[in-house]
Amino acid sequence: MPDLLLIALIAGVLAIDDRAGWQTLLGEPVFSALIIGALLGNVLVALQCGVVLQLAWLSIGAARGTRRPNTVVGGVVGAAATCLALAATPDARASLVVATGVLMGLVAAEAGAFVWRGVGELRDRWLGDFQLPASYPAASRKLAATVVGSALFVGLADFVIVLLLLPLAVSATVFASEHLGKGAAVGAVWWLACVSAIGMASIMRAFSTRWMVRFLAAGAVAVALIGWLR
Amino acid sequence: MTLERSDRLRVLVRLLFIQASLHRKGMQNIGVMHALDAVAPKIAPDPLALLARHAGHFNTNPNAAPIVIGGVLRIEEDGLAVSPAPVSRFEQVACSALAAMGDVLTVGALKPLALTLAVASAIYSSFTGLVAIVVLYNGALLAGRAWGLAFGYARGWGVVEAFTGARVQRVVMLARVLAALAGGALLAVLARRAFAEGLHDLAVIVIATAGAWLAMKRGWNVARLAIVLFPVVVIVAMLVK
Repeated sequence: MPDLLLIALIAGVLAIDDRAGWQTLLGEPVFSALIIGALLGNVLVALQCGVVLQLAWLSIGAARGTRRPNTVVGGVVGAAATCLALAATPDARASLVVATGVLMGLVAAEAGAFVWRGVGELRDRWLGDFQLPASYPAASRKLAATVVGSALFVGLADFVIVLLLLPLAVSATVFASEHLGKGAAVGAVWWLACVSAIGMASIMRAFSTRWMVRFLAAGAVAVALIGWLR
Repeated sequence: MTLERSDRLRVLVRLLFIQASLHRKGMQNIGVMHALDAVAPKIAPDPLALLARHAGHFNTNPNAAPIVIGGVLRIEEDGLAVSPAPVSRFEQVACSALAAMGDVLTVGALKPLALTLAVASAIYSSFTGLVAIVVLYNGALLAGRAWGLAFGYARGWGVVEAFTGARVQRVVMLARVLAALAGGALLAVLARRAFAEGLHDLAVIVIATAGAWLAMKRGWNVARLAIVLFPVVVIVAMLVK
């Protein structure tokens, strides 16, 4: 329980940074997983989950007509579900637990975006009705209160979303690790490869112009050469 | 110049939270008023009137906002009487000129560059690399914002022409080239890892990449597609094994 509260609190702080602050990158799954992994004492496994989630959301241009997933909620829930499920079932296949954790992260991000759409509408209406008071000191106070209140609102929303989703995600991950067999573990590895491939496709699409593709190829050839020489 | 470095620092700190009160109607206008409020009594005889002048719609890339706000501070401080056009016109022109540049530079180049390097560092479990990326990225962003505010404050209306020149385009292009190089490096890292697992895994990742490419081209949400794919892949693997 204290872990759950602390994880939700971290998600709230990261949400403020990601959607209300200057976007330090700490809200991105690869970094949020590092933080959650350090907190729960399993950095390597949390990072595996964070890397795959980051690759899934690396898309440099959003898909047409779609809502951006709540990557803060997804990253935190995914990494935390992986670490907590592995702690609860130490004999489980790590690849299966990581894959289920990633799945929980993806689902949580979509659910988080769905909830935020409703909650964000209330915030939008409140901010849209903003009027400057008639005196300067009152206006100054109201501006500060509105900015601080709005930022806290963002943090509180993600705090509550994680508090609600994380226990479900942990239960689902533990269930999958206890009930799915060797064949499922192989499938989980294939699926993780498929999710990672989204990141590869995103990179290739973002730099697929005739001018940029040569630099993309140069980067790939340089790493391949270094690997071969070593 | 009336504003001291400490005054501009207060504006800069408040501008870090310009996105906090983002909303559909006025976009960043509350954040802008909050930032201007830090120095309003110093640059205008009627600070409330100054805030009211900036209550309209304001929308630009958050990393480019300090440049616009720096320009606004200069125009307000010099007095609206000597301004060639209303300050709202300056905001409009500067915001649209800088929004595209800011988006391409940060969202299209610097952020992907940092994230691809972060993913590569995480794959090799390089915690030093991850910390270094966060420090460098934020150092660059904060330095850029501080420079932007000082530049805007020094130039005023001159900001608009400064950011429509070829030099800015070259900087943006350089950042995109670096991001492409890092992206290529990450592709090679992922491909090498798949190859190390066996030709079978490499084939899976090549086919999946081609599939994801096609899905993106059609405008599908690939992350949602991946959720649907999980039970399918697991059931197929269970049947095969």
